Amino acid sequence: MTKDEKSLLESAGSALKYLVLVGGAFLMVFPFVWMMIASLMTAGEIQMRPPVWLPAAPQFSNYSELARSIPIGRLYFNSLFTSGVIVLGVLLSSSLAGFAFAKYRFPGRELLFYLILATMMIPFFVTLIPVFFIVRQLGWINTYQGLVVPGLTSAYGIFLMRQFMVTVPDELIDAARIDGASEPMIYWRIVIPLVKPALATLGTFAFIGAWNNFLWPLLVLNSRELFTLPLGINSLRSLYADNTNLLMAGTAVAVLPMLLLFVLLQRYFIQGIALTGLKG
Amino acid sequence: MSSPAIKSSWWMPDIPKSAVLRRRMLWAYVFVAAPIIALLVFLAGPILFSGWVSLHRWDMLSPVGDMPWRGLQNYVFLLTRDSIFIKALGNTFLFAIGGVGANTILGLGFALLLNSRIRGRTVWRVLYFMPVITAPLALAVMFSFIFDRNYGIVNSVITALGLPRQPFLSGPNQALMTLIFIAIYQYVGYYIVIFLAGLQGIPQDYYDAAQVDGAGNWQEFRFITLPLLRPVMLFVVVTNTIGALQVFDLVFATTGGAPANSSMTVVLHMYNTAFKFSRMGRASAMAFILFAIIMLITVMQVRLLRDRSYQD
Repeated sequence: MTKDEKSLLESAGSALKYLVLVGGAFLMVFPFVWMMIASLMTAGEIQMRPPVWLPAAPQFSNYSELARSIPIGRLYFNSLFTSGVIVLGVLLSSSLAGFAFAKYRFPGRELLFYLILATMMIPFFVTLIPVFFIVRQLGWINTYQGLVVPGLTSAYGIFLMRQFMVTVPDELIDAARIDGASEPMIYWRIVIPLVKPALATLGTFAFIGAWNNFLWPLLVLNSRELFTLPLGINSLRSLYADNTNLLMAGTAVAVLPMLLLFVLLQRYFIQGIALTGLKG
Repeated sequence: MSSPAIKSSWWMPDIPKSAVLRRRMLWAYVFVAAPIIALLVFLAGPILFSGWVSLHRWDMLSPVGDMPWRGLQNYVFLLTRDSIFIKALGNTFLFAIGGVGANTILGLGFALLLNSRIRGRTVWRVLYFMPVITAPLALAVMFSFIFDRNYGIVNSVITALGLPRQPFLSGPNQALMTLIFIAIYQYVGYYIVIFLAGLQGIPQDYYDAAQVDGAGNWQEFRFITLPLLRPVMLFVVVTNTIGALQVFDLVFATTGGAPANSSMTVVLHMYNTAFKFSRMGRASAMAFILFAIIMLITVMQVRLLRDRSYQD
């Protein structure tokens, strides 16, 4: 093989690579793009055979009609508020307990840590019925607290924080004690700043989980004022069974801001996810 | 040393003598108190209660003390006479095997592509990762439309090519396959990101040394990349199998298990049994059967993927 032939073969190979990547990326992006295009069609265009690939004139009025029939702002507020509270709860409880397990010795520590490890493996569906029962007994059906409180702690979160906090040097903590720092102050001023990357990762996970959660809100909430975005989309399925263009507009409104946030913060997201994969 | 006064046994250190150390210990209890109580109330307690309920008949309305005892009858019924449950188990297995299997291969392939000399690695990664962070429910709605029998774009393309219209989600032989396809779409980016991170963690020296020894591409892949990627692969396969066996949102919002339960999955059937038909005992037994299966499969996967790494 001559040099020219070899480089020709190499560039053919790399062209093939890009071809595969472009093809895959097209498949990945297409559903989102198609959702947006369909959301701008008229009810007639969306049922045309052969299909219309683009609306004759983009129907932005679909979005104003959507806004008239469902309280988009309210759905966003509910999703943001409940996900925000869950993220704060998970970060606080995981870091506090993780700190105690990593840096203190106390009777029962091993036993409690085994409890954490054991509960970490329990899938949500096994506890679904009892937790629903507890929440109902507390009178929390159709309330924010019913949605949020069972999710405020995470065994996985405690485990993750403990693993990171073990690496904080004891000398640092002892030095702070000699300087007269109280135990809560050591937690807040010394340990928390050192584990910020781990907190960011855990927070990202907790947020995506809470934001996308569907089954639990479906069980707990029944009045529309409390609905989160996934429940909102779900209610649109029956409301717009015959108006797919409006259904797509509603889905787009629910999905696109989160996607935008992801693109802006992608480095954070992806590094965190890769990190937990490598630690596992 | 932070606590020289403490003599520890393997499971429980002695209570320290000095007041300073005792106060420090009390703080530890303050820190763990709320999280531990929450875990007991919302995880440990419920799993025990769930096991208890699975041995009874219960509609959640009658008092907990009055549940009629059924022994193992719920389990026996599910495994011998509940044909929907048996069907759902099979479907759930196929769903998990199909999705995880395809994505392990696809994810590895694309990760290798992205790990080679390529431009715009970040952009590709972002594009492939978009579905992973999107609500499964939203994806379900999008794909219900895309695969619609009458107005779906996939059928439009197929019929334009002169081929017959396909039922996809509404076809008894195609619904589950279509759901597996959607799950592959949804999670392939996750596999790519983690495999890529794993590949980037393999030291270049190994490949350099292999090249000195005259190893080809395939040999490098077979004897360096694959063995060193095995821990990452173990993590991805195990966590995704566990996740896939619990699928709910996607099925709920596309087929609802139809047609004729051809796409029914265990968690959806459990949801219906518990919250549509108020059979809490039977639904709890279902949960425990699936839980046992998940643990069994996890142990098997860990064994399988670990043992092979010893041989290499």
